Amino acid sequence: MTATSSTVGSRRTRLTALVTYVLSACMPRKRLGVLALPALAIVLAGVLSRTVTDVAATEAFARVADGLVFGLALPLGALVIGDAVVGAEVRAGTFAFSWLTPSRFWELAVTRWFGGWLLALATLVPATVLAAIIAGVADAAPAIALATAAGTGAHIALFTFIGTVTRRAAIWSLAVVLLVERLLGAALTGIAQLSPTWEARAVYMSLADVPDDLVRSGIPAGWGAVVRLAIITAVLVALTTGGLRRLEPTGTRD
Amino acid sequence: MSVDTPVPGPTTSSSDPAFVTDPTVIVDDVSVWFGQKVALSELSCSFGAGVTGLLGPNGAGKTTLMRAVCGLLPPRQGSVSVLDVDPRRDRDIHARIAMVPEEDAVPVALSARALVRYQARLCGVRDRDAIDAALATVDLVDVADRRLGGFSKGMRQRAKIAAALVSEPSVLVLDEPLNGADPVQRLALIELFHRLGDEGRTVIVSSHVLHEVERLAERVVVVIRGRLAAAGERHAIRDAMADVPRRVRVRSDDDRALAAALIGHDAVVSVTVEAGPEPGTTGGVTVSTSSASELALALPVTAAGVGIRLREVLPLDDSLESVFTELTR
Repeated sequence: MTATSSTVGSRRTRLTALVTYVLSACMPRKRLGVLALPALAIVLAGVLSRTVTDVAATEAFARVADGLVFGLALPLGALVIGDAVVGAEVRAGTFAFSWLTPSRFWELAVTRWFGGWLLALATLVPATVLAAIIAGVADAAPAIALATAAGTGAHIALFTFIGTVTRRAAIWSLAVVLLVERLLGAALTGIAQLSPTWEARAVYMSLADVPDDLVRSGIPAGWGAVVRLAIITAVLVALTTGGLRRLEPTGTRD
Repeated sequence: MSVDTPVPGPTTSSSDPAFVTDPTVIVDDVSVWFGQKVALSELSCSFGAGVTGLLGPNGAGKTTLMRAVCGLLPPRQGSVSVLDVDPRRDRDIHARIAMVPEEDAVPVALSARALVRYQARLCGVRDRDAIDAALATVDLVDVADRRLGGFSKGMRQRAKIAAALVSEPSVLVLDEPLNGADPVQRLALIELFHRLGDEGRTVIVSSHVLHEVERLAERVVVVIRGRLAAAGERHAIRDAMADVPRRVRVRSDDDRALAAALIGHDAVVSVTVEAGPEPGTTGGVTVSTSSASELALALPVTAAGVGIRLREVLPLDDSLESVFTELTR
């Protein structure tokens, strides 16, 4: 080997390598096993809605999915993925393998989010489609797939950002879901307007044929909610870029 | 090159041994603290081409210094410059710096080849043979496609070294790189670091195994409690501590007479006649001196004056171990 300086490679090569790394390295088998639990819970929602016989299948699935899918399984599934792509790597000390490269911070932020989102599209979205089919509302499958894709995209961006600002990313992420989104978001429309949980729910409830009492007023719904979720995602990815710039990806040892 | 012969280190500046004449890494008045704990305190030194050993007890600040050099940690005060840029701000410089962290953390789901390929692609390495070459350098070709999760600690360490080497960095920072390696691999890695230093790269190696650093580097930077305790050639560091008694074992054809002749000499602090293997015999004289150079001049004169023939003069503490012990005392 000689002491020649390396040239920094093309952006496309870097972006491809970074996304490939997320898909192949950030989800070891144990974490994939954990991710299977919310996916199974989503499928279970389809099964449970079949037991509700006093209302139409569409309404039954919407009421079960409201709490179990949008309120619990999707945020937790996104948390498992979002924590894996940055927070878990920072805690483990393996994020240095990516940070100590010529990759730009925005490249790291975008590819971490995108890789995580691809994982969600491959696991959580099929689970929601399967649940809709099992529930007997196959015509609602596109709506719940869209809601899941948009919602998990925003959630993964949120949890990725949290991974850049605290070492206890999983705990803080859970706190945000349960306390801010579920508790405050239920009471305050202003919070719900910025909540991936409530906006993802609004996408499905307004696009599927569900009773009016399931559609929350005061927050964007339908395609408007999709746009809102896209904006939330973009802002959070930008914040993640800043978080990575300030990140000190070191272990605890001296 | 024999691993028993340390290669010449970076050329030390004549005015201050903490600095080298042609530096690639400059640490200027750097302080780093974590809450109430001060990890580095106003530390200034520089590193140049060749191998430099970074020494210090646990918690001294070695790893913090290495992380600051690589940009993983921003100095709270002072500045770090690597190849004339701030590694915290200039992302392109990371194609020319590589670090092998001490932590046994690797992406366990990846194979060794995938980890090296990842680094190669991010650093813009276009030569596909470079990946196999890096793996071959650390003798991992045969297991390159096995997952890192199934590797031993030593193999993981070598995989990290291969990932660091694939971009042919100008500055290589290795934090305890010999941890977990078996004796054969240690020798191979020491030889590798020598070779990298000979190629003109700046190689900074920390280790708590002092005798290995003696074989690794002639130039040593000693950090204790976050401060620069000493720097320069290891022999020079030891010589600078003139007020610390040094011990020399002298064998002669009449040890008792030699001991008697040395007592009272200005440079001699104490004399001990060592027992020999047989009852009534002697095994040499251990002389403690405040000035090795004065003793070196006085010893042959004193011995000749009383008609004693010297057989062997052996410094007992001219090693990094003793330097380290004295500095931390």
